[in-house]
Amino acid sequence: MAFQAPVDTYQGKIREVVVGKEGNQVAVGGETTLPFHFFEGEMPKKPIIAMEVYDVAPDNWSSVVLEPFKDVLNDPVAWAKKCQDEYGAEMISLRLISTDPNGENRDSAKAAETVKAVIEAVSIPICIYGSGNIEKDGELLKKVAEVAEGHKVILGPSQEDNYKQITAAAIGYKHNVSGLSPIDVNMAKQLNILMTQLGLDADHLVMDPSGAALGYGLEYVYSIMERLRLAALQQNDEMTQMPMFCDFGREVWKAKEAKTEDEPSWGDPEKRGILWEFMTAASMLIAGGDILVMRHPEAVKLTKKLIDELMG
Amino acid sequence: MKHKVVFYPDNKQVEVEEGENLLRAAMAAEVSISASCGGDGTCGKCRVIIEKGVVEQKPTSRLTTKEIEQGYVLACLSEIKSDLEVRIPPESRPGKFVEREKLPESHILSARGWKEYLSSWQRHPPIRKFYIEMVPPVLSDNMDDLRRIRRTLSKDHGLRAAVDADLSVLKYMARILREADWRVTVTLLESDLRAKIVKIEPGDTAKKNYAVAIDVGTTTIGARLIDLNECVVLSQESDYNAQVSCGEDVISRMVFSNKKDGLVKLQSLVVGTINELIAKLVSRSGVEFSDISCLVLAGNTIMTHLLLGLTPKHIREAPYVPTTTNFSWIKAKEFGIDVLEDTYAHCFPCVASYVGGDIVAGVLASGMSRSDKLTLYIDIGTNGEIVLGNADWLVACSCSAGPAFEGGGVKHGMRATKGAIEQIRIDRNNYEPMILTIGQSKPAGICGSGLIDALAEMFLSRIVDQRGKINPGIDSPRIREGEHGLEYVLAWAGEAVNGQDIVVAEVDIDNLIRAKAAIFAGISILLESVNVDMSNVEEIFIAGAFGNYLEIERVQMIGLLPEYSFEKVKFVGNGSLAGASIGSLSKEILNEAKKVAEKMTYLELSADVNFMDKYISALFLPHTNIELFPMVMKKLENK
Repeated sequence: MAFQAPVDTYQGKIREVVVGKEGNQVAVGGETTLPFHFFEGEMPKKPIIAMEVYDVAPDNWSSVVLEPFKDVLNDPVAWAKKCQDEYGAEMISLRLISTDPNGENRDSAKAAETVKAVIEAVSIPICIYGSGNIEKDGELLKKVAEVAEGHKVILGPSQEDNYKQITAAAIGYKHNVSGLSPIDVNMAKQLNILMTQLGLDADHLVMDPSGAALGYGLEYVYSIMERLRLAALQQNDEMTQMPMFCDFGREVWKAKEAKTEDEPSWGDPEKRGILWEFMTAASMLIAGGDILVMRHPEAVKLTKKLIDELMG
Repeated sequence: MKHKVVFYPDNKQVEVEEGENLLRAAMAAEVSISASCGGDGTCGKCRVIIEKGVVEQKPTSRLTTKEIEQGYVLACLSEIKSDLEVRIPPESRPGKFVEREKLPESHILSARGWKEYLSSWQRHPPIRKFYIEMVPPVLSDNMDDLRRIRRTLSKDHGLRAAVDADLSVLKYMARILREADWRVTVTLLESDLRAKIVKIEPGDTAKKNYAVAIDVGTTTIGARLIDLNECVVLSQESDYNAQVSCGEDVISRMVFSNKKDGLVKLQSLVVGTINELIAKLVSRSGVEFSDISCLVLAGNTIMTHLLLGLTPKHIREAPYVPTTTNFSWIKAKEFGIDVLEDTYAHCFPCVASYVGGDIVAGVLASGMSRSDKLTLYIDIGTNGEIVLGNADWLVACSCSAGPAFEGGGVKHGMRATKGAIEQIRIDRNNYEPMILTIGQSKPAGICGSGLIDALAEMFLSRIVDQRGKINPGIDSPRIREGEHGLEYVLAWAGEAVNGQDIVVAEVDIDNLIRAKAAIFAGISILLESVNVDMSNVEEIFIAGAFGNYLEIERVQMIGLLPEYSFEKVKFVGNGSLAGASIGSLSKEILNEAKKVAEKMTYLELSADVNFMDKYISALFLPHTNIELFPMVMKKLENK
């Protein structure tokens, strides 16, 4: 008798989250099975790639990943357009780094102007992250939500200590929220409970379980994502059924294996960095990532190819 | 005898014991009445009208003769003496009367009466006193003095055990027998089949036979003076363990003991606290120091080591080995207790490094080690210890909860003594609290059961979210930014004993949630390790020195304990002290303690990979997985 591979069935379904303005909307999620297990269920939407754009020229990126953007680094609008038009980005991950109180501490209203310019310049959906500063993000994202009204963006990172303001802004202007939790299944779920209890529709939520790079905690994040997905599908746990947002590009390019340039024995620095990001992306896809936030256009290209092949 | 009390216009009723306080009955019935003085009678806000039935009312100047004629009483000063119908006038409402959600009947458990557990043990104190009158020796009857005592004890008191005596007693025996004209009182320490004379006094002092039972807790030490002949408690005292100044938990105490002179200092601190407590017990009751025959102590393994001056060094380091877990009778003076030379002390045997004599004492006192029923024993203290089993098997684990339930690490926390707020209700509409204190006096702070109530009520009234964070958007003067972040004012300075606002701050709530999460996680792991579901557990004992009352709904509301049917639960109160008390009255329990300690299997939680996960998921109100709390879920949905 021929071998029959065991087939699992699942009770749960990942929610579909819609991002972008009317006419140019993209949906993620909707899985009824583990990633790419087409023999067990459906994966109606393919994972998408968001490319990072900073609102000020980054001062700590390696030259390998700066090179493709060297002509647009000081112009977030041109940078975003380049990602969309030349590099095939399916989403823009706009980071308002300038607002960090420990850095330039740019005024929220001024940062919101950048947001407005970028969303008007591109047609693909946008995800907007603050600097990660708890207090500033709360105030900043409220302004951002206001100027981005109608574009149904993803606002983040919403964390345990500022989720109230960010969630309220998202409810008010009909956006999505990305909830950031510190690599912990329970805390990811707790944040989802807290945000939905404020009245945010669970279909407007994605989970950011924290980013990690190959060799730097990747397996830790991987196992957390896997557990979240198993809880969602096997146990039908509603508060873990959100698509997952994987913010690893910046982690990858912090790794010395990706950014060191003067180590000939490690091989070509450009290829090495790109492959480091690609390998991390591949792992995130297998762990159940729905949105991948990446930097290098070549890594993006490889990852898109992999997604297409896996989707069949 | 039970009485039925109906409250109007709420039309809610509750059944309570005769003599119960009317304000407490109102709390149990989930009826809102203004009450801010803790039951002291000074605020005069809890005016209610008795429409039918009888209460016994303490005198008050807060009511006019006319009002008294109209049936007005202060609920906090009224004891229920019959079935009652009570009307709450509008002015006694913290806000305007709004029909509240229908809550199931409250289950307030009282910790009074450890003596109910005594009945199942043979009453035979390990230390007994016998007055004997001997026939003086003559040439024809010249047996030695000791044998003469033995013979008289056997003849007059039917004592069959082999009797010998301490050398210290032998040294004065000959003199005292003759000086007292052969009429003496002999104090006997009996264990198994042997008996030892530990003291001989001239004349008849047999009536004066007292023991001190002591719970040597990490945070709190409780002591009771017991009349061994009459089987009554003469006085009871408690105080913080003075070692707290050297660290809040057992780990930091062990670290401290490793420092130069650390062990000596810790030992003298705990002995100092015990000596002060004994002095208080003695002066309160009028008993003489010399009439204290013995001390029975129960503490966790580390506390017992420190008390006796044994180094706990190897308990802290792998493979975590105590010096001993079994302690024989020792002279109390030898480890510094301020009693007479011939007063003996006994420490309850311990199980392992982190499950000690306090748990053994509690398990025995509760009767679970003789029960056929599958029983869960939970001791909520600085360490949360959990024991599961029955007469055939016992498995135990321990988790660090911190001192929050004993009032430690909480801004206005206090021990469960006079003035401690122990019961709280918060009005869902205007956030005004209704409080009752221990001893019904002006509030001085909050004890463990009060904190449990406070957290549950703040959660139910949406003052805090599921993470325990206070909602700053709530419109009430009681919610404000304090010294350490947001806080809720339970009692205003004018109502409090020390003229300071009594608050529950967000940081206090954090501590409390961490403590409850550790205990919940410990219970989950223990049950899973033996593949038992909560529904299989037939009886549950909750022990802890956090108050006199425990409200099961509130305990479950905050997710401290898993859900189970209320009928299964008994509140032991301070189980360690109950065990020590019974131990002073029954040598049977002391004998059995050794067997139980040996029988108990210790489960090391730190070796369990799931503990952290269970802990984090319990750091939420009531729990990240609300499905585990169907009753709480229903209550929240009803709102």
